[in-house]
Amino acid sequence: MNALSKIFPSNDFALLAIVLAMPLIGAFVNGVFGKRLGKEAVRLMALSALGVSFIASVLTFVMLGKAEAIAHAATTEKFHPVGKLTWVAWRWLDLNGQYGSVPIDVAFGVDAMTATMMLVVTGVGFLIHLYSSEYMKKDPGYYRFFAYLNLFIFSMLVLIMGDNLPVLFVGWEGVGLCSYLLIGFWFTEEKNASAGKKAFIANRIGDFGLLCAMAMLLYYCGTLTFDGIKNAAPNTLLSEVKVWPLGNLPIEKVWDVEFAPKSMWPNWLVHLFLPEEAIKVKAATLVAWSLFLGCAGKSAQIPLYVWLPDAMAGPTPVSALIHAATMVTAGVYLVARMSDVFVLSPAAMATVAIVGAATAIFAATIGLLQTDLKKVLAYSTVSQLGFMFIGVGVGAFTSGFFHVFTHAFFKACLFLGAGSVIHALHVRIHDTDKSQDMSNMGGLAKYMPITHATYFVSCLSIAGFPLTAGFFSKDEILWRAYINQAGGPKTEGMWLWPTWLGPSLYWVGIVAATMTSFYMFRSYFLTFHGEFRGWKIVKGWVDPHPHPDPDDHGAHDSHAHADPDAEVAPKKRLEGPEPHESPLPMTIPLMVLGAFALVAGFLGAEPLGIAPLIHKLEPIFANAERLVGIRAGTHEHGGQMWLMMVPGVVACFGGILAAYSVYVTRRGEPEVAFKQGFPRLHSLIYEKWRIDELYDATVIGMVDALADIFVMADTWIVDGIIAKLTALVTAAIGALLRVVHTGRVQIYAASMVIGLAVMGWFFVQPKAMVTIDESKLNQTGEVVMTAAPGLGYAYKWSGKDVKEIEFSPGQSKYQLTLAQGETREVTVRVRNAFGRETATPVVITRQKPQGQMMPTPQQFQPRPPGAAPGGAAPGGTAPGAPIKLEGSDIPNLLRGAGQ
Amino acid sequence: MNAIPLEYYLTVAGVLFSIGCIGFLLRRNLLVLLMSIELMLNAVNLTLVAFNRMYPQSHGGQVFAFFVIVVAAAEAAIGLAIVLAFFRVRKTIRSDDADLLRN
Repeated sequence: MNALSKIFPSNDFALLAIVLAMPLIGAFVNGVFGKRLGKEAVRLMALSALGVSFIASVLTFVMLGKAEAIAHAATTEKFHPVGKLTWVAWRWLDLNGQYGSVPIDVAFGVDAMTATMMLVVTGVGFLIHLYSSEYMKKDPGYYRFFAYLNLFIFSMLVLIMGDNLPVLFVGWEGVGLCSYLLIGFWFTEEKNASAGKKAFIANRIGDFGLLCAMAMLLYYCGTLTFDGIKNAAPNTLLSEVKVWPLGNLPIEKVWDVEFAPKSMWPNWLVHLFLPEEAIKVKAATLVAWSLFLGCAGKSAQIPLYVWLPDAMAGPTPVSALIHAATMVTAGVYLVARMSDVFVLSPAAMATVAIVGAATAIFAATIGLLQTDLKKVLAYSTVSQLGFMFIGVGVGAFTSGFFHVFTHAFFKACLFLGAGSVIHALHVRIHDTDKSQDMSNMGGLAKYMPITHATYFVSCLSIAGFPLTAGFFSKDEILWRAYINQAGGPKTEGMWLWPTWLGPSLYWVGIVAATMTSFYMFRSYFLTFHGEFRGWKIVKGWVDPHPHPDPDDHGAHDSHAHADPDAEVAPKKRLEGPEPHESPLPMTIPLMVLGAFALVAGFLGAEPLGIAPLIHKLEPIFANAERLVGIRAGTHEHGGQMWLMMVPGVVACFGGILAAYSVYVTRRGEPEVAFKQGFPRLHSLIYEKWRIDELYDATVIGMVDALADIFVMADTWIVDGIIAKLTALVTAAIGALLRVVHTGRVQIYAASMVIGLAVMGWFFVQPKAMVTIDESKLNQTGEVVMTAAPGLGYAYKWSGKDVKEIEFSPGQSKYQLTLAQGETREVTVRVRNAFGRETATPVVITRQKPQGQMMPTPQQFQPRPPGAAPGGAAPGGTAPGAPIKLEGSDIPNLLRGAGQ
Repeated sequence: MNAIPLEYYLTVAGVLFSIGCIGFLLRRNLLVLLMSIELMLNAVNLTLVAFNRMYPQSHGGQVFAFFVIVVAAAEAAIGLAIVLAFFRVRKTIRSDDADLLRN
């Protein structure tokens, strides 16, 4: 261990690279080579990758304890310092902006919360991999499944280990992608593919919130690392932000236009758009709300929860791993991670807690009447996530996170148990929906003892049976909800919690817990007790339509190939063998998870005073929880904790007994009676309060309408005008060029010859261009003129009162001296080798000095015959520099040619 | 050494080039077209060598002439191969008949 500490110091903890790399390698190997490797190799790769990752996580956890001890020894503070292992992989990017540069590293950090999550993700992940290796045995997409699953583990690890928000976001998107891929794993069925799409889009809405929050945090705190935000938030996030009217919009002007004056509108509307006082919100509230939008998307809270029940279209192990144990708790993790921001705003805390409570009870009502076993579990997950958000919303971050921890065990166990039952039913029932329908189950306790026992234990745990894991975590949350009051930093104008909020959350939670207990045991009794309703059990039954492999149940919940017996089922009752218990690789995970569901609570059993995990987590939230107060009239310790537990235990037993009396004693008659007595209410709840239909009618309808408008613009403008115009222009040019493009070699050659002739003519023409150096004009009056050279040129310089030079090849330079105020005109004639001539007159003026020795602008007039006055005078050049005639001046000079 | 003035060479080269050029433009026989190209190239060679004779201190003109000869040889080889292939396909060597890509 000492050697390990030397290799991996806590500020450069490269062991994390192994934790991360193993699942990534597994995903790569299985995804790229898996098809050729075969199922055994894929299984070995996936399991060993997860196994090594798990071992490395355990090592990390142990070494974190050591780092914590060292940090603790070095401080005298009351609160334990946060022990942390960090590893910076590389510098990702530098954000350069108006206010400076913000470096962003690919950095990973592990504190107690992350380390716990790592153990859950890799540990539960390993068990579920093991389970899947048997469950998915007959699936042709075996390698694909494990590639996705490994990739998911990698992304989830990045999410929880990232030490700043951008890295977290990479993982956040990665798990979203894997979730999409795995929900739509059997994409040949329309239903599954659209469920994946729905999950992806709902998550995208949440991601928008997370991105906005990141932008705001960067603006206010100037950093995106968790430690940096923690330190900067109390100083920077308490400023007021004007949210309405928007920005600096001159609404008065926009509003008070002539055709619709202010007086035209009703008073309240004017007041709404032009409030007397601008509406202001604390920056912390805005940031926290945006963050929570992201969390609501990922963790399936109102209003974005609709994707999670549909996500059950994926294989059952996926539902267990992604949509129950790990990914969906990422939202809770993020709220806990950003606790220092959330506690600054009691309003945001209240939002989190209220949304959590509403989701908890809302999803629980839907779960009451579902007949699909996986749907019951899905709504139960949504409801439990609501509980977690109550926990983090009331400032009980440790309790909320502890519920994430325990929920991972019992909900994974429940899902895997459901998978085991579906596996058994697949012997005779191949249809996806029918094999998950509880009306085809019943009495399985006799045939599947292990599945039955673990499912029972997990049901007890989720219902909150005393001393099980769920009991400690859920009751802790509810107790905290009752006594806590998020106070915030008590600055002026801060919205504070009303006193009734805590008790309301508590009682809503109790009601939701009662429902949870009821519907979980309803599913338990319907599945494992009573008569088996799936088919008529015949001893020694032999399959009349044998599959190649007698153990072949096809890909579970996947392709619903028509069974001839199933078709005639209404007439003749389906016959089949005794349902069998699942093989060992599927029951081992069930047993391990069931055991944890039973005893994991003792890691945080605060009423008993045994809470090692909670004490380990406390330092992380110590800073934030300082701002969370206790409601007046309650006291934290003493009898109250035990007293508040009574309603929770009553809820648990009430739910269990109600379920027993309804589904065992009276064999489900009350449910039938309810259905007949209130058919409309029953169908409303059964159809999930028709929220999907509501969304279809409102949000999706609006988007559809918008899309229709764009389609019109596309067909009329893009396809109609732009595309046709482009085609027309191209066609016209083509028609023109086609005339030239005859395909006859001689025509091409002729055009080349003509081009050559034109170029030859241009070169043969003499050109009289003059460069004038008048740098000394003002001092001595000396001017040097240079005529441009050319093939066989001879030059003649002439003019009034100047030295004349007859045609000679060497005389390209000409010099003359001017007196003050004098103007001279010189004509240069150029004759080329063929005897053609051209001439250019040059006029030069030397100005009189105007008293001072000021440099005066030179006058230079290449006067072309017949040129418009004032044209072509390249004056204004800096005095002293030689005036070079170039570009546009040349044509003017050439105009004198041919004389 | 300067017995023959430069202009003579240039005139001969110009006449040769014109013959080649006109031949190329007016004839339709692919072999004749190749020969016309040779004429034009050799006219250029002649000017290059003639100018080099005028400026004997540099050998640029002669070197260039050699390059042109090499390129002309390569071009003739490929050109004849194409003509041969064309003849096998169309049984003619008239350039007008090389119109498979039209229409």
